Amino acid sequence: MSDHEHRTPVEIGTVSSDDPHLQPAAKNPDTVEHVIAFTFILGFFGVAGFGAAYWVNAKPWILGATMGFGLFFLGVGLVAWGKYLMPRGPFVESRHPLANSEADRDAFAAAIVERGGGVVKRRKMLAGLLGGGLGVFSIVAIFPLLRSLGPLPKGTLFHTDWRKGSYAVDQTGRRVNVGELTVGSIITVFPEGTQNTDRGQAVDQTVLIRISDEDYVTQKGRESWGPKGYLAYSKMCTHLGCPVGLYEQELQVLVCPCHQSMFNVTNGAIPEFGPAPRPLPQLPIYIDADGYIRSQSDYHQPVGPGFWERTTT
Amino acid sequence: MGVTLSLPRRALLLSACLVLSAGPVLLFLAPASASTYGQTTRKNSGTPNSSTVVKKNGVVVKYGNKYITYTAPSASLNELGNALYLENCASCHGTQANGVPASGTSGAYPDLVGLGPATIDFWIDSGRMPAKNVRAIEAPRRQPALTPDQALAIAAWVNSLSPSYPSIPTPNLKNANVAEGAAIFALNCAACHTIEGDGDALAESTFAPSLRHIPAFQVVEAVRTGPGDMPRFTGNLSDQQVDDVVAYVTTEIQHPNNPGGFGLGGLGPVAEGFVGLLVGVGLLVLICYWVGERS
Repeated sequence: MSDHEHRTPVEIGTVSSDDPHLQPAAKNPDTVEHVIAFTFILGFFGVAGFGAAYWVNAKPWILGATMGFGLFFLGVGLVAWGKYLMPRGPFVESRHPLANSEADRDAFAAAIVERGGGVVKRRKMLAGLLGGGLGVFSIVAIFPLLRSLGPLPKGTLFHTDWRKGSYAVDQTGRRVNVGELTVGSIITVFPEGTQNTDRGQAVDQTVLIRISDEDYVTQKGRESWGPKGYLAYSKMCTHLGCPVGLYEQELQVLVCPCHQSMFNVTNGAIPEFGPAPRPLPQLPIYIDADGYIRSQSDYHQPVGPGFWERTTT
Repeated sequence: MGVTLSLPRRALLLSACLVLSAGPVLLFLAPASASTYGQTTRKNSGTPNSSTVVKKNGVVVKYGNKYITYTAPSASLNELGNALYLENCASCHGTQANGVPASGTSGAYPDLVGLGPATIDFWIDSGRMPAKNVRAIEAPRRQPALTPDQALAIAAWVNSLSPSYPSIPTPNLKNANVAEGAAIFALNCAACHTIEGDGDALAESTFAPSLRHIPAFQVVEAVRTGPGDMPRFTGNLSDQQVDDVVAYVTTEIQHPNNPGGFGLGGLGPVAEGFVGLLVGVGLLVLICYWVGERS
């Protein structure tokens, strides 16, 4: 009997017991049975090992390995059993046609159109009320959509919590003294009181860098902004708002980790490379009589990425 | 024998005594107003204003606290250090370690005077110096060309030219808190070195090196001295905080606990997802193919 004839489907109800379609697919069923028995034994030991490993509270990867091993070989055995030891088939089982006759279907459609339509048309008021309810719902359904956009930012995009005289504190709330940073040091500071707030860690975060022992001027008009070589820049990238925390003290650049924008610390954080469109805003700071770093005022421009109402400067 | 002095001489002597006694007082007063700036003033931050300071012949030889002890290299190493320096370093940094080589072409080579023993020790002991390739933008960590003792000797001699700090640190990890260290690491180090400590590329062909094989004391040296492009962490981190960071680096970063069995280089969810897709789904596809294949 040729291979082609094996693959011809036969009617399952009419097949005789000596039909080759009922023979197992394997040429050597006894050998295959032994192999499958072996895989089941492996699988048995695998899942048993998983139980033992679970019992002794073994490491997670041992749990995973034993369970995976066990289930894998049980699965291999099952699949092989179905593939090699079951009748090779293929078989078909015929059934009667499902569709109604053409005449029955036409009659049913006619009944719906003639009688059903008339029944609905008699209740015009109910139909109108239903339509009104659904119409209102379709408008109300927009509300959660609008609400999910969050509250309007109003003026918050334009201002941070830095005020005239705000103390610069680190993330633990400790005020930063002028003597603490040596040249080449960096620290992230916040206006006192905001260091543990969401808003503080977003818009108020500021990098304080000491690039010199002497007063340092980054740009014209910023003569008093860099006392004793301390420079304060917004830590929010002007591209998409990532924290610009990668300071390279020899190159004097701040690198944004997200898209590799590079800001030149010495000349007012002008972007030298990357997609950032504007310099990082510089915070005017001063050193008070006790040596603490404090802000002269808020940033002179909005921090972070651009937004619709932002003016270009 | 009685000594009598004339009036002008008495006046001269009196004023000399006054100047001599007032001088130290003035010297004592003057730094109080000037020292606000320049030096780090915070206690226990790698400078000898620490809780314990050991002096020998008026020279600070050891300082620190229960978290980190800083030891100055012994002055007896100076002679050996000078010889080693002339052999290994002087061709670039100059015979006086001031960055002016014999040819007189200054500028290209850093001045080493006054950087503190920890700086010199770090660069030599991490194998970065003597430089294998002097034109490299950034010297990578490699097998040190000099032994730790030789590095100490060179550090001792360079430091003898102008004694400065920090000295060679020894962190005491028994008093460290790994969890605190992880938080401090995330805030201050992870931006460049990544939270797994593998390091990453930075601006203009520089890179933050991997921390997988750095010894504990070199972590302190790097944090306190800021080698190359790395910022210095002095007054903003106390010795206790630096000790915590060292504990985190030497445990969680250098001996990571991978619950899944494989760290996959600690590259994060993207790499893990990629491996999961390629290996896991690939295996499933092969199995499906095998299951569906007709015999």
